[in-house]
Amino acid sequence: MPTFVHTDKCDGCKGGEVTACAYICPHDLMKLDTDRMKAFNQEPEQCWECQCCVKACPQQAIEVRSFQDWVPMGGAAIPLRTDSAIMWTIKFRDGELKRFKFPIRTTQVGTIDPYGDKPQAGDINDELLFTEEGKSMPVIDASA
Amino acid sequence: MSEGTFGNPEIVEVETDVLIVGGGMAACGAAYEAMRWAGDDVRVTLVDKAAMDRSGAVAQGLSAINTYLGDNSPEDYCRMVSADLMGITRDDLVFDVGRHVDDSVKLFEEWGLPIWKDKSTEGVALKDGGKPVNSGRWQIMINGESYKPIVAEAAKKAIGIENIYERVFIVKLLLDANNDNQIAGAVGFSVREHKLYVFRCKTLLNVCGGAVNIFRPRSTGEGMGRTWYPVWNAGSTYAMAAEVGAELTMMENRFVPCRFKDGYGPVGAWFLLFKSQAMNGYGENYMVKNADMLKDFAPYDTATVIPTCLRNHAMLKEMKDGLGPIMMDTPTAMAKLSETMTPKEVKHLEAEAWEDFLDMCIGQAGVWAGMNIRPEESASELMPTEPYLLGSHSGCCGIWVSGPKDISPPEWQWGYNRMTTVKGLFTAGDGVGASGHKFSSGSHAEGRIAAKNMVRYCREHADLVPELKGDINAITEEIYRPVRTYLEHKDKTTAEDINPHYITPKMYQMRLQKIMDEYVAGVSTYYNTNGKLLDMGLEYLEMLKEDSKHLRAKDLHELLRAWENYHRTRTAEAHLRHIMFREETRYPGFFYRADFPDLDDANWKVFVNSRMDPETGEWELKKVPHIDLVEKHYG
Repeated sequence: MPTFVHTDKCDGCKGGEVTACAYICPHDLMKLDTDRMKAFNQEPEQCWECQCCVKACPQQAIEVRSFQDWVPMGGAAIPLRTDSAIMWTIKFRDGELKRFKFPIRTTQVGTIDPYGDKPQAGDINDELLFTEEGKSMPVIDASA
Repeated sequence: MSEGTFGNPEIVEVETDVLIVGGGMAACGAAYEAMRWAGDDVRVTLVDKAAMDRSGAVAQGLSAINTYLGDNSPEDYCRMVSADLMGITRDDLVFDVGRHVDDSVKLFEEWGLPIWKDKSTEGVALKDGGKPVNSGRWQIMINGESYKPIVAEAAKKAIGIENIYERVFIVKLLLDANNDNQIAGAVGFSVREHKLYVFRCKTLLNVCGGAVNIFRPRSTGEGMGRTWYPVWNAGSTYAMAAEVGAELTMMENRFVPCRFKDGYGPVGAWFLLFKSQAMNGYGENYMVKNADMLKDFAPYDTATVIPTCLRNHAMLKEMKDGLGPIMMDTPTAMAKLSETMTPKEVKHLEAEAWEDFLDMCIGQAGVWAGMNIRPEESASELMPTEPYLLGSHSGCCGIWVSGPKDISPPEWQWGYNRMTTVKGLFTAGDGVGASGHKFSSGSHAEGRIAAKNMVRYCREHADLVPELKGDINAITEEIYRPVRTYLEHKDKTTAEDINPHYITPKMYQMRLQKIMDEYVAGVSTYYNTNGKLLDMGLEYLEMLKEDSKHLRAKDLHELLRAWENYHRTRTAEAHLRHIMFREETRYPGFFYRADFPDLDDANWKVFVNSRMDPETGEWELKKVPHIDLVEKHYG
C-alpha cells in the first residue's frame, strides 16, 4: 500500500537539511532524489501505509494509493493534519466523498513540561515510580 | 578522524551509563523515568533506528488504550491475561504492570492525549475522577492519532535531544571482557551517514518491539508491507538478547490476529463497543455452533473472555469445512445501535466507526473506500493473519526476566526488576516474555519500571568500567560485510540483482518466510506442523543462516534490511526450536502440533525456556515449573 509523491507539489523541502518525509518515515522508505530534488518511496512493497510522511509533508505532496495487487482503483483516504485536529477525506471508488474531523491533542505542541510539578525522585529501593510518591503499592492478595 | 564514505565508515564511540535501544512506548517510558532518578551522576542515552515522534508500534496512532485498570483489581487483570494465554503466564510481572499502568495513562492525558469521557463526567480528567468510555472491561477509547508524538515529546524533553541518536540501527549487543555474563555495550550503524557507532554502557534496555514478516504474509506484491503489526518490527529484541546468552521464554507462543481481511483493520471496537457479531458464510454464529469443540481446551473455553486462540480455532473449523467467508455483520450492529439514536447521534456513530480505522489502520479505510464498503450497508470479511511474535499484545513470547522483589517468589527474582539473566541487560514491552496484554500503556509503564531499576543498578555498580569483549574492529567489519560483498562483486554480472556471489535482503526475507510458512505452521498449512516438518524446517533455516554471510547491501538502506532480516532469522529459529520442544497443542487457532493435537496440562503446564550459548551457538531448552500466585477462576 505505497505512498506516492506528486511531482508538481514536492519541492524537496527546498534543499534544507531535513527532508520531512525521509526524516519521519518509520521504515526508512522515503528518500530524496537529489538530482531532481523530489522525494520518492524507495521500497513501495514495504510501505505500512501509516501516512506519517503524508501528515508531515509541508507541501501536501504525498498521498497513498492502495496496493494494486488487491484493492480496486479509485478509492483514497486523505488527511489534513493541524497541531490540534485531523481532517479526513474518504473518497470511494464510486465517487462518494465523506469527511471526518477528529481532535488529536488537547495541549499546544511543544508545551509539555515533563517534570513540572512532579515529585522529586524518592527512594530508589522501593517499588514506586517517581510520580507515585506517597502511594502504597498493592501486593498480591491471593483471595482477592 | 576523516569523514566516512560508503565502504569506509567513520567509527564513533559513545560512552554512557544507561543505554536505551529502541524508541517506542517502552523506550519513551524508560527515558522519562530514568532521567528523574539519574540525577547528575548517571548518564542516559537513547538510540532509535527511526525518529521517535513516529517510531515503534504506536507510530500510526491508536484508537484505544487497551490496558487501563480503573476500578478493576490487578488480581483480576492477572486472571484475564492468564486465561487468554492458556494458563501459562507470570502473575508477578502481570500484576506489576497492573498496579502501575494507570499512572502512565494519566500522564498521557496530562500531556495532551484526548481520552473519551462518559457523559456524566465530560471534561473531567482521569486523575480527577473522570470516567473513561470503556469499550471493554480493560479498554478505553481515545482520539489517538497523535498518541506517539505526545509520548515522544515528553521523553525527548526528559533526556534532552543531545542524548538521542536517531536513525542508528543497533545490530549487536556486546558482553563485557572482564566480567562474565555482563552487558557492556552495543554496536550499530547510521542509516543516514557513513558512521558505525560503538556504545559502551553499564546497563542496557533492549526494547525493539516484536517480530513481523518472519512468515510469508497473506498479502502479495505491494500489499506485503501492509502487515498487521508494524512492518519494521524485525525481531531485533529477541535476536540480540539470544546472541548474548539471555534466557528466552515461551518463544513457541505467537499471535494470529483475526482482522478485517487484507487491510488488517481492528475488530476490537466492532466486537466490544458496537456489539457486532461475526459469522460464517451461511449466517451461523461459529462460536455458538462450535462451543462443544472448545471443551477439549477446558477450563479456558469458559473464561469470561474466551481466549483469542480458541476463537480462531472455532473460526478455522468453518473455513476448513468450506463454510466461508467469515463475515463481520456491521450493518446489523449499526442498525441496532441506531434504533435509539437521533440522526445526529447516528452520524456521530458512523464517524466513530471510521475513526477506529483512521486512528490506527488507515489502510483498512483505503480498502473499504476502494471496494465501496460502507459499514452500515455491507458486512466485511474477516481473516486470520500470518503469525506474529510479540510479548505485549495478545501474545507472550520474549525474554525471561526478574520480577519485583515484593511479590515475586525467589526463583523469579534476582535483584533488579525486569533484568534478564544477563547482568545489566534489561527489557520491557514486547521484550518481556510470559506476560502479554500490556499493550501501549503497559509497555510504557514497564519501561519506567525497568528504568528505575537500571539507575539503581548503575548506582550499585558505580565502579564498573565496561570493556567490550571481542575485537571491535572485527565486529565492525562483520557489520559492514554486506557492503564489502556488494562492492567486490557487483560488476561481475550485467544485472546487479542477479549475481551468484550474493543474496539480496529481499530474496533472503522471502526464503525465510517460505521456510516458516511451509514447515513451521504458517497460513498455507492452516497453521499445522509436526516433528518431521520442523526437522526439515530447521535444516533449511541452518542453510539460510549460512547464506546470511553472503547478504549484500548496495546502500545504507539495504544494509538496514540485511541486518533486520538476520534478526528475523534468529527469532524464527528460536520460535521453531520452542515449537519443536513443546509436544502438545497449547494454542489451537494459533498453531497445531498435528502429532500432539491435545492440550496436555499434566506434562506441559510449564514455561519453556531456552538459551543459546554465545560461544558455541548451541541451544539448550528446558521446562520451568509454572505457579499461580493469584488463585485462578476463569468463569
